[in-house]
Amino acid sequence: MFIFIARRLLFALALLFAVSAFTYVIFAALPSDPAALTCGKNCRPEVIAVNRVRLGYDKPIVVQYGQYLKGIFKGRSYGASEGVHCPAPSLGYSFRKHQCVTDLITRSLPVTASVALGAFVLWMLIGVGLGTMAALKRGRWPDRLATGFSVVGISLPTFFVGLLAIMVFVIWTGFLPFPRYEGITSNPAKWFMSLVLPWFTLAIVSASSYVRLTRNGILEVMNEEFVRLGLAKGLHRRTLIVKYVMRAALLPIVTIAGLDFAALLGGAVITESVFNLPGMGKLSIMAVNDSDLPILVATTLVAAVFIVIANAFVDILYGFLDPRVRSY
Amino acid sequence: MKSTKAIIGALLVGAFFVSACGSSGSGGSGSGESSGGRSGTDEGIKDGGTLFILDHSTGATNLDPQRIYTGADLGFLGSTITRTLTSYTPVAGKAGTQLLADLATDTGTPSDDVKTWSFTLRDGVTFEDGAAIVCADIRYGVSRTFAHEMTGDEGPLYATTMLAVEGEYPGPYTATADQQAAYEKAVECSEDGKTITFHLKNPVADFNYTVALLAFAPVPKAADTADKYTLKPVASGPFMIKSYEEGKELVMVRNPNWSADSDPIRKPHVDEIHWQFGLDESVIDERMIADAGDDQATIVYGGIQPENLQTVFDDAKFADRRTDGFDGFVSYTMINIKKVPCLEVRQAFWLALNREALRTAGGGPFTGEFADSFINPLLATDYTPGTVTEGLNADGTPNVEAAQAKMDAAKTACPDVYKHATEEGLRFDHGQSELWAKLISIWIDSLGAVGIKIIDNAIEPSKYYATINKDPGDLMRAGWAADWNNASTVVPELFTKEGGFNYSQNWEDAAYPAFSDKVNLAKAEVDRAKQAKMWQELNQYVLDQAWAVPGSFTKSQNLVGSRVRNAYQWLPFGWYNVGAIGLAE
Repeated sequence: MFIFIARRLLFALALLFAVSAFTYVIFAALPSDPAALTCGKNCRPEVIAVNRVRLGYDKPIVVQYGQYLKGIFKGRSYGASEGVHCPAPSLGYSFRKHQCVTDLITRSLPVTASVALGAFVLWMLIGVGLGTMAALKRGRWPDRLATGFSVVGISLPTFFVGLLAIMVFVIWTGFLPFPRYEGITSNPAKWFMSLVLPWFTLAIVSASSYVRLTRNGILEVMNEEFVRLGLAKGLHRRTLIVKYVMRAALLPIVTIAGLDFAALLGGAVITESVFNLPGMGKLSIMAVNDSDLPILVATTLVAAVFIVIANAFVDILYGFLDPRVRSY
Repeated sequence: MKSTKAIIGALLVGAFFVSACGSSGSGGSGSGESSGGRSGTDEGIKDGGTLFILDHSTGATNLDPQRIYTGADLGFLGSTITRTLTSYTPVAGKAGTQLLADLATDTGTPSDDVKTWSFTLRDGVTFEDGAAIVCADIRYGVSRTFAHEMTGDEGPLYATTMLAVEGEYPGPYTATADQQAAYEKAVECSEDGKTITFHLKNPVADFNYTVALLAFAPVPKAADTADKYTLKPVASGPFMIKSYEEGKELVMVRNPNWSADSDPIRKPHVDEIHWQFGLDESVIDERMIADAGDDQATIVYGGIQPENLQTVFDDAKFADRRTDGFDGFVSYTMINIKKVPCLEVRQAFWLALNREALRTAGGGPFTGEFADSFINPLLATDYTPGTVTEGLNADGTPNVEAAQAKMDAAKTACPDVYKHATEEGLRFDHGQSELWAKLISIWIDSLGAVGIKIIDNAIEPSKYYATINKDPGDLMRAGWAADWNNASTVVPELFTKEGGFNYSQNWEDAAYPAFSDKVNLAKAEVDRAKQAKMWQELNQYVLDQAWAVPGSFTKSQNLVGSRVRNAYQWLPFGWYNVGAIGLAE
């Protein structure tokens, strides 16, 4: 088992390295000139040239990438006497936002984590709950209600649900104030209020597919021979469903949910934009609009890190749950 | 209006001077004069409360005084945080363009044939920490403009072009002792630290307007954090920054060390200003239309979305809350004289371009009115309707017949240029955007009707000016607004070789030397009426030579919350005097 875990972790590290290199090269190859972004309307070529050197964009791409990696472990300085320093782990400096990218990420991540965590809990409760109800009441009105919800939820784009929620609950009825994010430590009540609508928006959209997955998973397992055997042997239906059917049916769902949650930590781009939440997704969108390459590279990398970690975690978890996979 | 600015690609932005003398109205937005009903008055103001600003942008363009160049930002920061030696009268209408002493005791004393200007500081002016503002703070602030790598030349560069600094001066961060001494010789401080004297290379009759720009604002050296200063500039005005988080919010509170006794310009009413960023534009509009809760105490940075303009302007219930006015910009197309040295082809281009179709595609009459000058009508002293090329249709539709006649004349007068325009094609540089993807077909079709071939060159916006600086096309799209109430910030900037934004290379034209000489005379002219006449003639000269073709006098529309008062258009900046806004109960 130790070798299996070590192998998976090494693979995850290699994957992260590859992702970081690939991401850096992709963004470096974009037509936007990061040095030009430090320059204003007057934009004289000589100022751009000086700033290109100052930022290290005059170096070959391999050297740039090397400096970037070095900055992660040792920190990095830009410019001479009037320059700025970003301590380790430095993910670069944004001359658009005049801040170290790591500081921006550190500030955005708790917002995204707040959105992701609440929405994840909600969508799992709604998705798995409705899916289970639909499977157990197959062909009856609860089933039709749940599958109907699923179809509607899948069909509605996130931005539409979000804007509709704002219109209905904020603007038309005034039931809720317009969401303005507050940190959980500074004001827990405001933190909660600012996230209610984003949570439900994400939950409605994301839960829909989980209704389907759960329903189909449970129905499939209920057709297995061991279920019929359990019933034939007089096992209580509720015990059978909770203890055996759900356990078997939800295993693949938990795997998918883990990856979905990790992806969400990279930024719920649309939800954060609609509700003006200053999280990773919003940061990414701002970076795209501003062609702010250091932030784009960093947010992409951070998102990739979450995915890779989640993937490694799931792999290792599977190794525990099903010893047969350890040989792969 | 933002969408209009997007059409231009990447507007060059100066401070605006927006006077109430709108040009003849046409289209749905009325006369083009700014109005705001009750919200523009001080009726029922009760001191206190929080003013909210909603903004689609991700953050303030800049808060560093030496890096600010957009009119709205200059007005916002100038009325709240940052004071300058001179500023403008805080009233609506043309009276608002009247220069007043701010940190200085008067509007400056010129000498040496207006090549030297002195200003004496008031008693009792302080920064937010209570430290007295002295000459050295202003001198240090101005010196930061020279640190091009740090500022990215984002702010106006008048200090670098006007001040008589001997030799190269790289700014305060990297200057040698000799370089710093040379700078301090050009910007002198008296022994008591109360008087600052600027020595200029050339006569500048309106230099006291120049120092009203925030680029001439004081910065305490000890608090300068270079690139990061923009996150927390030190306040000298009635408000100071409490917190700023890009993408979220800028919170300003009252500056306890600001004294109304030492400030004749700012009369704040609210306790706090919360500028909220990153909001969806459609949500902003819906909130402003609904006018509920805190939104009643809210103004918007940016305009009303095109799809909501009819709703707001057709319904009388918004009369007290809506404004509509020119934003001070003129959009235009610069023609590269080096590549198109043929007047007939340039005039044919102007006559054939379907300006009405372009305006309709961009949003219709709300976006602006067809321009007949590079000087905006809002520069009332300097503007006079220009005489456009003969045959140009006033309704913006193309005059194909007249354009074809010009092209026929060009065939014999300048066959090489004719061939270049009709066979090789004219490269048209513009910023890349979704709207331009639609507009370009109108350019190609309308100019193709007279045989002019257009080669579309959409440039990634962040590289636009760097690209056309290095490799200008045949035609280039741009926009401009005056930096202060004088066309000295328009004509020389756009059409002289020394100007910061001249892409026409018109100095290659035989007609240029006479033009350049007259510009220099106009810059030094101290008789304002005489100077205005000279700018009008020079503007007409450019129109006659068709070195550039004016597009539109652009407009913007806004809606404020029902409790907002004193939200008048402050003409020097084309936006509200935010620091003076109050709230009714």
